[in-house]
Amino acid sequence: MSDAPAPKPPPTDLVRFTLNGRHVYAKPGSMLVDAAAEVGVEIPVFCYEPRLGGPIGACRMCLVEVEGMRGLQTACSTPVAPEMVVHTDNAAAKDAQDGVLELLLANHPLDCPVCDKGGECPLQNHTMKFGPGRTRFVEPKRHFPKPLNLSTVVALDRERCITCFRCVRFSQDVAEDGQLTFQERGAGTEVATFTGEPYEGRFTGNIIDLCPVGALTSIPYRFVSRPWDIKNTPSICGTCPAGCNVDITQRDGEIKRVTGRAEPNYAVEEGWICDRGRWGYPAAWSAGRITNALVRGEDGLLHEVPLEEAVDRAAFILQRSAATGVLVGTDATVEDGHLSAKLAEALAGGRVGRLGIPDRPHLTALRNLPRAELGEIDQADVVAVVGGDLGNQHPIVELRLRKLLRRRGTLLVAGVRPQMIAPRATESVRTAPGRLVDALDAVERVLESGSRPILIWDEADLANDDAAAARLAATAEAAGARVIELSAHVNAHGLRALGLPTGNILDDIEAKRVATLLAVHADPTEFAGSTEWDAALDQLNDIIVVATHRSHITERADVVLPALMKQEIEGVLVSMTGRAQRLRPGSDGPEGAAAAWEILIGLSHRVGKPFPWRTPAQTFASVAAGYPAFAGLTYQAIGTEGAPIGDADVIPVDDTDPPRPLGEGLPLVLTTEIFGDATSWRSDALASLRQQAGLRLSPGEARRQTVTDGDVVVVASPHGSCALTVSVDERLPDGAAFVMTGPPGAGTHALLGADFGPVNVRIGA
Amino acid sequence: MTAAEVREHIDPIRHEYADPRSLVLPALKFAQTRDGYLSEENLEAVAEATGYSRAYVESVASFYDRLYLTPVGDRVVSVCVTLSCMLRGSDEIMAALAEHLDVGPHGGTSPDGRITLQESQCLGACDKGACIQVDAENTVGPLTPAEAVALVDELREAETPAERWR
Repeated sequence: MSDAPAPKPPPTDLVRFTLNGRHVYAKPGSMLVDAAAEVGVEIPVFCYEPRLGGPIGACRMCLVEVEGMRGLQTACSTPVAPEMVVHTDNAAAKDAQDGVLELLLANHPLDCPVCDKGGECPLQNHTMKFGPGRTRFVEPKRHFPKPLNLSTVVALDRERCITCFRCVRFSQDVAEDGQLTFQERGAGTEVATFTGEPYEGRFTGNIIDLCPVGALTSIPYRFVSRPWDIKNTPSICGTCPAGCNVDITQRDGEIKRVTGRAEPNYAVEEGWICDRGRWGYPAAWSAGRITNALVRGEDGLLHEVPLEEAVDRAAFILQRSAATGVLVGTDATVEDGHLSAKLAEALAGGRVGRLGIPDRPHLTALRNLPRAELGEIDQADVVAVVGGDLGNQHPIVELRLRKLLRRRGTLLVAGVRPQMIAPRATESVRTAPGRLVDALDAVERVLESGSRPILIWDEADLANDDAAAARLAATAEAAGARVIELSAHVNAHGLRALGLPTGNILDDIEAKRVATLLAVHADPTEFAGSTEWDAALDQLNDIIVVATHRSHITERADVVLPALMKQEIEGVLVSMTGRAQRLRPGSDGPEGAAAAWEILIGLSHRVGKPFPWRTPAQTFASVAAGYPAFAGLTYQAIGTEGAPIGDADVIPVDDTDPPRPLGEGLPLVLTTEIFGDATSWRSDALASLRQQAGLRLSPGEARRQTVTDGDVVVVASPHGSCALTVSVDERLPDGAAFVMTGPPGAGTHALLGADFGPVNVRIGA
Repeated sequence: MTAAEVREHIDPIRHEYADPRSLVLPALKFAQTRDGYLSEENLEAVAEATGYSRAYVESVASFYDRLYLTPVGDRVVSVCVTLSCMLRGSDEIMAALAEHLDVGPHGGTSPDGRITLQESQCLGACDKGACIQVDAENTVGPLTPAEAVALVDELREAETPAERWR
């Protein structure tokens, strides 16, 4: 024993207690269940879930014996105390665990062989580990018609429910939609909505992840796979710039399911994800998915060819071209962006640019302020949201803000759109389009009032509001606020950090400086400035497109190289808070397609300027070596949780004139609703939730324009026009035309210019 | 029923309830006493007046046997079926009334819509077992099956009070 290491001196800030005969230490105030887990002792739980709020002790699974306390205690709601003596495995505790499980199972159908949860079910696991081997219950069990569709995506098997309250607490206390409750009582208790109406919301899928039994299951995943047939891969959602961490479930190389991370990333999404992120994956096999390479033949039509042949053809075109523009889209990874830039360097007269909002000088001032992660909202006491529509466009942020309000923090919401959290907010200021400056007195007052303030600002809105942005940056700096940017596009932060400019490729095409376009995950015909782009594309000699889905640009391309989607590739996306996170392939994707990085490396070889990198990891190492923002980062350092990138040297656009609205009529406010984006429209799982394109007006404005609900009108800006159906919405203010973008091809992007500048629109028949 | 009507009823008694959630019950009782049962519209009015979600209000209402989410007869007859009354013959009373009223063995509303028969847990009147309760007010017993049938016939003939708590 003499060579045993000397016992560590007891940590002074911890509480010592006895657990199953061992002296152990725990943080003061921690609950027994956590304190035990900390030292490797599992106490089974069903209802305990700290992300839902304080413990409620509903399921009784965690009963333990505490010497000196009468009866057994629930470990989830009993805090450790000095010199407490706790037993989790003595006869009394074992008897309680047996008893609780036997009672929970008394009315449980034990239909595990046909249950989706079977194999990854806490009830099953706890029963095997802690419960009685056999049941003594011989009476008839309760029966319900099964399953009940709680919505088009969530199924409810009421027989399997153990009434742990997790889903109800999520609905009431996290999403705060108030829709789920328990009805009836005793053995008849069931999860239900008001008069059985569907459970509809933006975060409903999380109740499936939370359910510790098979009562709540995903309809798109119903009977699809068994836990022993699947592989879960930690990846990133990548549908919006928030960068939620997800697990992708695959079976036989095909994506079957997306769930919140089993190990939540508390810096980002806290394990919650929105329904669009959860059920957007079927977009991978939607009708428009490009599964084979296409080359335009002598007959002027696109023909399927093997990928190799198409890449050869593309390389031939690029080599022949005297001036090529490489356009990087908003969904491209950091590696795609880097390789695109390098390919442009390698090509004669090559140049690279990205789609996105121009980096106006005052935005750089806001971006240079100290950044906060989403998780840091939990430490803030005041938060001001300026512009945007985060409930639709960055939904997960809303859950953090609701949490802020529940712990009595202060939330100010300012902007032109009716924000979904506004009714709950401490203060809400509605501004006219382009007049965020009117809200800044309130913003300043609120930020100054806090000791740990956070400013959340919207890229698209502030890009068009120089005066507000300049003052906002100064206000935030003076208040010592940290900032979170609501980016408009998925990897905007990452591509900006690579120094890729915006707007240049379009200018170059128009000035005839570019004759060949290589579009990498970029479809400018479904983007701001689509009218101008349409004309520009006509001037090109050749168009080569690396894309996942058919669109206007693939129809006009000479070569279409089918790319893998974000859930099928390796790569790095930088979230809007500046966090580099890794995509990992959770699916093989179509056989005829390849990752954009692979296509770009292949092109480099075929044009005779081979890149020295063969993998995304090697490519990323070159990014880390070449750009100060990525210095020191590697795939390993990013890991599964991500790592913040440094500040980028952004060269703002050379434009000091404040953006002025073009055209006459009503100011245009363009919004993408949560289920009104391309992903939702491509995913059949979200078919019943999809939101249409449309024009929304306040009742007063509708009268002034002499239009009414259901009218189809032509909305025209100086850039272009599109036909939209009117709906009257009394939550909206007069004096603005609210346009919802809707499905791909709806044409709403034609209303904007390529610089995303403010426009006014006319409404006509 | 409108939210304003509910509010008019609960505003004067609001101060009696430390937890505002407790106000849901008197609001529901008010609505049911006036309208006989809690329609969807009533639940919505109570939700609006108390500030809780519609689902929460329905969940409270569904917990209690004496809050009805579907229409019931003009009068409600509850037969106590807990131990003391059961030993004193409540099974026979229940069977006799069910047959007499032409409803199922566990109760229901008579075809003429006059009487709803239901089983009830202990009414706290074991000294009167076997007992039945007329609406939520009048507990009668001990009764034989024949006396119970006579009582129900009497109720059928009697005039229905305009507002009653059942």
